[in-house]
Amino acid sequence: MKKMMAIGLAAVTAATLLAGCGGSSSASKAETGAAAESTSETAAAKQAEGGDASKELNIYMWSDDISEDLVSNFEKENDCKVNFTYMSDNADAINQLTAGAGDKYDLVMTCDAYMESLIKGGYLEKLDTSKIPNAEKNMNKTYWREDIRDYCMPYLMNYIYVVYNKDTCPIEITSYNDLINPKLKGQIGSVDGARNLFPIALVALGYDPNSTDEKEIKEAYEWLQKYNENVAAYGSTEQNLVNGTISVMLAYDGNTKWAMDQMGDKNSLVIAPFKKDPVQLGMDLYVIPKGAKHQDLAYKFLDYIADADVMAKNLDEYPYSCPNDAAVEAASDEYKNSPAFNFDYKDNIFFQKDVGDALTIYDKYYQMLKVKAQ
Amino acid sequence: MTEGHIEEQRKEKARRKKSRLPMLAQAGPVSIWMILFVTIPLLFIIYISFMTRGPFGGVVYKFSLESYKTLLDPIYFTVILKSLRVALFTTLLCLLLGYPFAYYIAKQPAERASKLIMLLMIPFWTNSMIRLNSWMLFFQTAGPVNNVLLKLGLIQKPIMFLYTDPLVMLGLVTGMLPFAVLPMYSSIEKLQKNLLEASADLGAGPSLTFRKVTLPLTMPGIVSAIILVFIPSLGTYTVTDMLGGGKVLYIGNIIKNQFGSIRNWPLGAALSVLLLAITALLIFLYTRFAHVDELEVV
Repeated sequence: MKKMMAIGLAAVTAATLLAGCGGSSSASKAETGAAAESTSETAAAKQAEGGDASKELNIYMWSDDISEDLVSNFEKENDCKVNFTYMSDNADAINQLTAGAGDKYDLVMTCDAYMESLIKGGYLEKLDTSKIPNAEKNMNKTYWREDIRDYCMPYLMNYIYVVYNKDTCPIEITSYNDLINPKLKGQIGSVDGARNLFPIALVALGYDPNSTDEKEIKEAYEWLQKYNENVAAYGSTEQNLVNGTISVMLAYDGNTKWAMDQMGDKNSLVIAPFKKDPVQLGMDLYVIPKGAKHQDLAYKFLDYIADADVMAKNLDEYPYSCPNDAAVEAASDEYKNSPAFNFDYKDNIFFQKDVGDALTIYDKYYQMLKVKAQ
Repeated sequence: MTEGHIEEQRKEKARRKKSRLPMLAQAGPVSIWMILFVTIPLLFIIYISFMTRGPFGGVVYKFSLESYKTLLDPIYFTVILKSLRVALFTTLLCLLLGYPFAYYIAKQPAERASKLIMLLMIPFWTNSMIRLNSWMLFFQTAGPVNNVLLKLGLIQKPIMFLYTDPLVMLGLVTGMLPFAVLPMYSSIEKLQKNLLEASADLGAGPSLTFRKVTLPLTMPGIVSAIILVFIPSLGTYTVTDMLGGGKVLYIGNIIKNQFGSIRNWPLGAALSVLLLAITALLIFLYTRFAHVDELEVV
């Protein structure tokens, strides 16, 4: 009896401890895909085991982001093996890079919001773009931001926009300021995180979305207090938009696509027809960590996935917004016509830029926002 | 000192030396494990909490009390109070629900009791994220609970269960209940029946017997239950984030953010140290207050 109970209690403890690792993540792909931190190898990679160490490429990235078929083609073409390690949060990649990821990985996926710090801190290899001609040719230069272009190659991207149910939402939303209309009380599902929320408020107030001025950030905090009144829940809320618990969502386009697909023919979700306000665009980028061991292969891989047809196939399997214009052009009609990716102010964008030390100011007001909420 | 004495001391020493080997074999592996994976990381956390946040979000190994100064901000006081309140409430509910249940199981024949404990464990065969998600599906606006209530005509329009405090409590209590039931069951099971009979013979009614005999004798189990439920509840954030809609920050959220998106490890470490200190203080108070020398750990 006692033994059984001891085993039982041990099992409960283990289950609880494991659960602790699976916390909610603020990142887009972690919300849409089942992203667990794990290491895996493709089938072809396993076959090639024991091969030449120089014929090995180690990549750290999101899971559910790249087609396995395309990877095995690359392995065959280059007679190498590609090993993937998956992250579960953007912060994981930053932690890897700042701890010196070059020993372990040849390519790391990260987002644009931390790029300046990573460059200044000397954690990245400068890219020789002549080695990735496909990217030079196909990539939209608006998205491949000039200020960080020398150190990264964009892969996929995500808009954070406002989407609402035109049948149940009490008002028409055409600007961020409409989101603080008291008529929307308890109606909004929202992305979370200081660096996702504050830019919206700063834009609504007419400031730089990446402001480092505490006075402006404080005003944004006051704006967000009103917004917070209307928010039913933070996190991934697309399920609630589909079942009618909420009628408005500030969310990633990938999550919106899921919600629209769920509603199928009865889809009454529309992307808010913004007139003036720009929309937030985040990038998933590949960087080569300082001192990476297989840089030649890393360049080959980058050039391979920047190829229009290769990336187009990937988009059919993992439909996210993409900065590779030629690939989008070559993608299936289903992808191109998806309502989640089609809105007429797509070019009116702003980026999350690295705000450096001001991050702690954002954090201070973010905590105040959530602590004083009740 | 006589010759015999010295001889005896020598023997004693040899005996001690001899008895060390089995002790090392038994406790050694666990001790090494604990030192490597609990003690050293914990010391490292304390160490980091006195360091500086680097310009690129890393840890710069330069002594600083900045993080502890930040902790003086009243906002952290509010957050800790909130977290303590939730943990306290969860613990109370677990005790109130768990004690009668543990008592009931303890009074059953052994075979039935083990079946009942099995039932208590079954939900824990899955990951807690899956359990939380199923609560959400169950209680959503178009979910089974609302549908049944609507069909029965008990309500006219769906009730908003999601993101309310009672649902958060439900999630926390169901997650913690086994930790409360098991140690209390173990205590109650040991309770000797003849003590209760003696109490009744001496004229005490059931309520007096419970207060004067049962409760004091099962106190070790209750204190263990309190500690096992209270500490994890204090640091939890997944339940409140998912079922509560993430509108309120608890101490667990803030620590997670410092190590994650905000990249202020020294502050995160200082908050962890504070949490440790609070927990240690509470355990000290519990054990003092309850006069427990030996805790019941199943």
